[in-house]
Amino acid sequence: MKRDRKNGRLTTAIVACAFLCAACGGKGAGEADPAAPGGGKATAAPGEVTLTLAAYTTPREAYGKAIIPAFQKHWLEKKGQKVVFQESYLGSGAQSRAVAGGFEADVVALSLAPDVQRLVDAGFIDAKWGERPDNGMVSRSIAVLAVRSGNPKGIKDWEDLGRADVEVLTPNAKTSGGAMWNVLAMYGAAMRGHVASAKAGDVESAKALLSKVFARVTIMDKGARESMLTFEKGVGDVAITYENEVLVGNKSGLKYDYVVPKSTLLIENPIAVVDKYVDKHGTREIATAFVEFAKLPEQQRAFAEYGLRPVDAAVAAEVEAKLPKVTDLFTVRDLGGWPEMIEKVFGETGVYGQVIASLGR
Amino acid sequence: MRLPRLERSTSRVDIALRGGVALYVMLLVVLPLATLVKVGFGGGVAGALAAITSPVAQSALVLTLWTSLLVAVVGGVMGVVVAWVLVRYRFPGRGLLSAFVDLPLAIPTLVAGMAIVALLGPQTVIGAAFAAVGVKIAFAEPAIVLALAFVSLPFTVRAVEPVLMELDPAEEEAASTLGASGFLTLRRVILPPLLPAIGSGAAQAFSRALAEFGSIVVVAGNIPNKTLTAPVYVFGEIESGFPEAASAVAVALIGVALLSTLSAQSLERLATVNRG
Repeated sequence: MKRDRKNGRLTTAIVACAFLCAACGGKGAGEADPAAPGGGKATAAPGEVTLTLAAYTTPREAYGKAIIPAFQKHWLEKKGQKVVFQESYLGSGAQSRAVAGGFEADVVALSLAPDVQRLVDAGFIDAKWGERPDNGMVSRSIAVLAVRSGNPKGIKDWEDLGRADVEVLTPNAKTSGGAMWNVLAMYGAAMRGHVASAKAGDVESAKALLSKVFARVTIMDKGARESMLTFEKGVGDVAITYENEVLVGNKSGLKYDYVVPKSTLLIENPIAVVDKYVDKHGTREIATAFVEFAKLPEQQRAFAEYGLRPVDAAVAAEVEAKLPKVTDLFTVRDLGGWPEMIEKVFGETGVYGQVIASLGR
Repeated sequence: MRLPRLERSTSRVDIALRGGVALYVMLLVVLPLATLVKVGFGGGVAGALAAITSPVAQSALVLTLWTSLLVAVVGGVMGVVVAWVLVRYRFPGRGLLSAFVDLPLAIPTLVAGMAIVALLGPQTVIGAAFAAVGVKIAFAEPAIVLALAFVSLPFTVRAVEPVLMELDPAEEEAASTLGASGFLTLRRVILPPLLPAIGSGAAQAFSRALAEFGSIVVVAGNIPNKTLTAPVYVFGEIESGFPEAASAVAVALIGVALLSTLSAQSLERLATVNRG
């Protein structure tokens, strides 16, 4: 009897040790896995090269269905080398943090420059990335107001969003990098004197506009896509979003319209080679070629097909003829640039922080 | 199902096993959480306190605490009823019902959130009917409570079930033959031995509710000072680059959860002793 018990205990101990070892081993293997967030496993055979793209979710189809296959064909013809892509699509901020945390992407295509800046600050990308043509940007869009089909509430401009009969959707700028565009679009329009209730250059009246609008916001989703999904489900009268989201929604058969405010923000999406990782992988040449390839007219048309505005001037001219005009289109640079905006608007005591803190009281 | 009481053994295998397990739990749970505490107190105790008491953080914590408490109380009552039905009755579909009780632990809670919105959102029949009388369910507190009740359902049921199984129906029969009413029997005979188990289950449900993120981020609306819960607030602070504020609030949550888990454990011990 006693022996049996002892044997039982020994077995338990062995099982426990095996479990411990498995747990430790598992951790090691996880660290070595190159494709941390999403992305299938792909190991390069001889004559093949693997390129990892970490992108935000909006241009997923443009990259996956058009640009990547075209580049693979182009590279095979030019260099006789097969390129295997590992594609990972996540929210821009999450993607940027993943790369900074060790997700070894060769190229990042993100939603906004600050997410590239994080990688510059962490020493992964050379500070000169934005000195390329188009400031390192690969696609554009504008901040717009998605409204119900036929615009039943007669929404025309930013100011209408503060009306008591209007229910507004916008994602939370704390959790969604993309949502920062929405806040800056409104803030900028007010600061530039294109909102009747706001005096040009007066931060207090810009803040008053934001407060009025955010008082009408009933749901702050985690990200821009979720916010549009909520709108598509029939919730709310107007969603602050991007032109491409509406165009893609319409393309997939959903019926709603959009209104372009008189003054709105030009959204610019960056693409960059991750210097630290391409040097480690020996993929600098091909990664640089891919980034340049995405700027060629053919690829720029692919972005346009998925609702984004191209940065290539000639293609942009073709596309813009078909899109609504904006009276006053401004960029974040016009507002003083991202670092200044992040401090003045999104910092702990910034305009957005103050507006958020005053909500619901 | 009472565990035999073992004497403290000093054999080498036992010491190695205990040490190994302690190390495993340390590495897996204590080390990451301790690091978080360090980040949270990076700006000193005053900094952490300021982060926790900032108006938005404070309202998020208050909302999380009261909804979790409510869910623990409701779960405590309903858990006993569900466990009672599962233990005392035999009916077709009983196994399936029991499986449904465990289901919330097996699915991503995000899915639970989507289901709640699909059923009760403002565009649905039920949601519209409530909205007509001025009651908001989805993207307001009722949806938060529902989602928390969903994710913490199994805890009270599974805590009470084994105690109920061991309860001798003869005692209840004796009580009723002696003329006790149903309510008196419940109060004097059935409930007393169940109480520690109910408390333990409710405390576990409370801890689980405190931590809920996936379903809440979908159903709550997440408006600061109104429908923003602490876990969603923590997520926002991490995403927008304020790890200290996120960690400080997270540490506050961990503290409450630890207290609650510890009390659940001691109640569980009490329940075991009562049964023995």
